[in-house]
Amino acid sequence: MKVKNKTFLLARTLIKNGEGLGIKGSSTFAKVSVILVFAIMIPMFMAGIAYLVTSLLGVLVQIGQEGIILSWGIAINSAIVFLFGIFYVVSTFYFSSDVEFLLPMPLKPRQILGAKFLVVTIYEYFTTAISFLPVWITYGIYMGCGLLYYIYGLVVFLLMPITPLAAASLIIMVIMRFTNLSKHKDAVKVLGGMVGVFFGVGLNLVIQNVMGSMSQEQIMELVQKGNNSLMILTSGVFPTARWGAEALINYSQLSGLFSFLLYAGFSLLIYFALLWLGQLIYLPGVVGLSETGSRRTKVNKQALEKTTVKGSVVRTYTLVELRLLFRTPIYFINCVSINFLWPVFLVFPLLFQSQQLNQIQQISEMLNRPESQGMVLAGSFALALFMGATNGTTSTSISREGQELFVKKYLPISYRQQLTAKVLSGFVLGLVSILIMVLFAVFIFKLSFWMGLLILAAAWLPVLLTCLTGLLIDLHNPKLDWDSEQKAVKQNVNLLYNMLAAVIPGVLTFVVLAFSPNLLVTFIALTALYGLLCYIMARLLYTKGVKRFIQLEI
Amino acid sequence: MIELMNVTKTYGSTIKAVDNLSLVIPDGEIFGFLGPNGAGKTTTIKLIAGILNADSGSIRVNGKDLREHALEVKKQIGFVPDTPNMFLRLKGIEYLNFMADMYDVSTEDRQERIQSLAARFGMADVLQDRIQSYSHGMRQKIILIGVLVHNPSVWILDEPMTGLDPRSSFLLKEMMREHADSGNTVFFSTHVLDVAEKVCDRVAIINKGQLLFCGSMEEMKDHFKKNASLENMFLELTESESEE
Ligand SMILES: Nc1ncnc2c1ncn2[C@@H]1O[C@H](COP(=O)(O)OP(=O)(O)OP(=O)(O)O)[C@@H](O)[C@H]1O
Ligand SMILES: [Mg+2]
Repeated sequence: MKVKNKTFLLARTLIKNGEGLGIKGSSTFAKVSVILVFAIMIPMFMAGIAYLVTSLLGVLVQIGQEGIILSWGIAINSAIVFLFGIFYVVSTFYFSSDVEFLLPMPLKPRQILGAKFLVVTIYEYFTTAISFLPVWITYGIYMGCGLLYYIYGLVVFLLMPITPLAAASLIIMVIMRFTNLSKHKDAVKVLGGMVGVFFGVGLNLVIQNVMGSMSQEQIMELVQKGNNSLMILTSGVFPTARWGAEALINYSQLSGLFSFLLYAGFSLLIYFALLWLGQLIYLPGVVGLSETGSRRTKVNKQALEKTTVKGSVVRTYTLVELRLLFRTPIYFINCVSINFLWPVFLVFPLLFQSQQLNQIQQISEMLNRPESQGMVLAGSFALALFMGATNGTTSTSISREGQELFVKKYLPISYRQQLTAKVLSGFVLGLVSILIMVLFAVFIFKLSFWMGLLILAAAWLPVLLTCLTGLLIDLHNPKLDWDSEQKAVKQNVNLLYNMLAAVIPGVLTFVVLAFSPNLLVTFIALTALYGLLCYIMARLLYTKGVKRFIQLEI
Repeated sequence: MIELMNVTKTYGSTIKAVDNLSLVIPDGEIFGFLGPNGAGKTTTIKLIAGILNADSGSIRVNGKDLREHALEVKKQIGFVPDTPNMFLRLKGIEYLNFMADMYDVSTEDRQERIQSLAARFGMADVLQDRIQSYSHGMRQKIILIGVLVHNPSVWILDEPMTGLDPRSSFLLKEMMREHADSGNTVFFSTHVLDVAEKVCDRVAIINKGQLLFCGSMEEMKDHFKKNASLENMFLELTESESEE
């Protein structure tokens, strides 16, 4: 009997409708190069993990703690799934345009939810395949495991995303359920998403903290016990992670089978529990998500006159770009919030670690040593470059226009001005992240005030550079043919290209760093280097870029 | 004044959307551009507005070549696209202000025009709301106001009446007449004969990218009677009218 399960049918359609790597419709060259990059980077990464696992196993086997490799492997992967999951769930469950088509169909909420959950699970496999498969297989080969180990492993792999994803879904669904009541949907959606992300990061840190709070003696005691006793350490995060690991380690014994059944049963139970809960709270959270509050109030003359004062073309254009970035939830999360989040992501873990004060003090001492001043400046350039390159504001700025690009072609302002405004909008946002970085450095790591000022005065150059390269790349290969905003920024390879482009100045910065010259030499070398690169890119933008903009048609 | 000379536009390398089209629309005229779906109306309009680049031929607006003086030409054109869904996350007033800045309108002029146009189109109450919250017709109106706020001499409208309520539609027609009568040019596309009949001084009929006819309404009707192939076209156009 062939059962046509609506949930699976729907999931299949949703995946077909998705964009995969997001390289559909781009030029052959773009496709080939993306595939090449992945074909080289992914195996390299996996080989790296396999190497690490092999060398760790060599040590761990001697003290009878080899099992920790698997339990950490599963725990870390679960954490990764959870973190990515928060983003995936927000965009797939709530911000995806297909929701509006699905709602009028004769589908139960749990069918929609189930299908979307499966879609996200499948997305997650791409990540976990890279990070879990090498651990699993290397362990199996190293320990000479039998067939059953691989069968268990496959099931563990397939079910692994369920528990952390369910946790992520639950957090997001609850937030969305209670924020959907508000009038200002867009703002609340963004807030909901952000709270979810922070909640996730916070939870992770707390768990880390709990585990880190075990004293050295306690840990030593566990180590001496042998027999994989250290695995208890990982049990706190997701209970299923531990059962999965135990199933794999004891695969040849009955206790292994028992753990395996516990793992599989519990995972499935969680899946169905989530569906049941979703039936109650998913729909009220999505329905009317696209509504916008409206006031219908007469504009009083003064207010109107205040908002309609003539401004310069570039300024107005930049402001509109920024407004759209701030007001479109998916753009806000991907392009704007990341500017605030990076510095926080980088510094927060330090703050929360058990020997926090110690580490901060160490870093602070290091930063303020007179001989490391040059290094600090170079480091700030590298960090600014990293934050700039990971920000998609300019590397998606043409793509974000989508089918509306035609408007920009009939406006009577030069393409040069338009490109300038687009660079500016990214640059303004990038400056915020530098400012936050400097504030952290000065107030938490006690960097000297003057050094902070110097960084502010110079480290905007790498940000400008990434804005220029991002726009050039997006002009060259924009993704205009999208139907939901998230496709313009997520799954946009131009962001990846821009990060790759940043490798070159990144390497040059490290070359400067390697010579560890004094502050003055570093300052001159780096400003000259980045100044020159910015100049070249700006020239390219205003010649080749403008030409390309003229050619672009939709 | 709009002049098209032997303009051709091909999409990809196969579909000839506009095929060697020549047209002259003098000042003081409302010019209707007719044709069935897929005839090439929107493509022609996009070519004039500078959104698409023609493969060959030249376009002049008020005597200036579009290619050589792109910005000056664009400044004189007011363009209303066929789909009004743009800048949805901006408030109506923000959109109007954006357009006014792009077209270099002084503070006094824009404030006066926004107020009077918003009142005329019944949009005064919604200017502070996001365009997202507007209905289809309201979106069309905000775009119309955005065009009128910079007071262009040449109006180019792609199916401007579809979706407007009778009152607004009447108002627009009236404004088109006023605009043409004061020596300016109005060029608009439609596939509704009825509309063309009521407001146009002259019309052109295009199909598969080629110009089939260009002249006044009376001339067109005479023409239809004599020419069998055009009669089909006429039928097609009147059919679409009866469906509206
Ligand atoms: N972006 C595009 N890519 C490829 N072909 C296109 C594109 N836009 C239009 N076409 C083709 O060009 C031809 C003319 O289309 P156009 O949009 O100009 O027609 P139209 O007269 O405006 O029709 P309608 O009355 O439906 O608006 C059609 O055959 C259409 O398929
Ligand atoms: Mg059309």
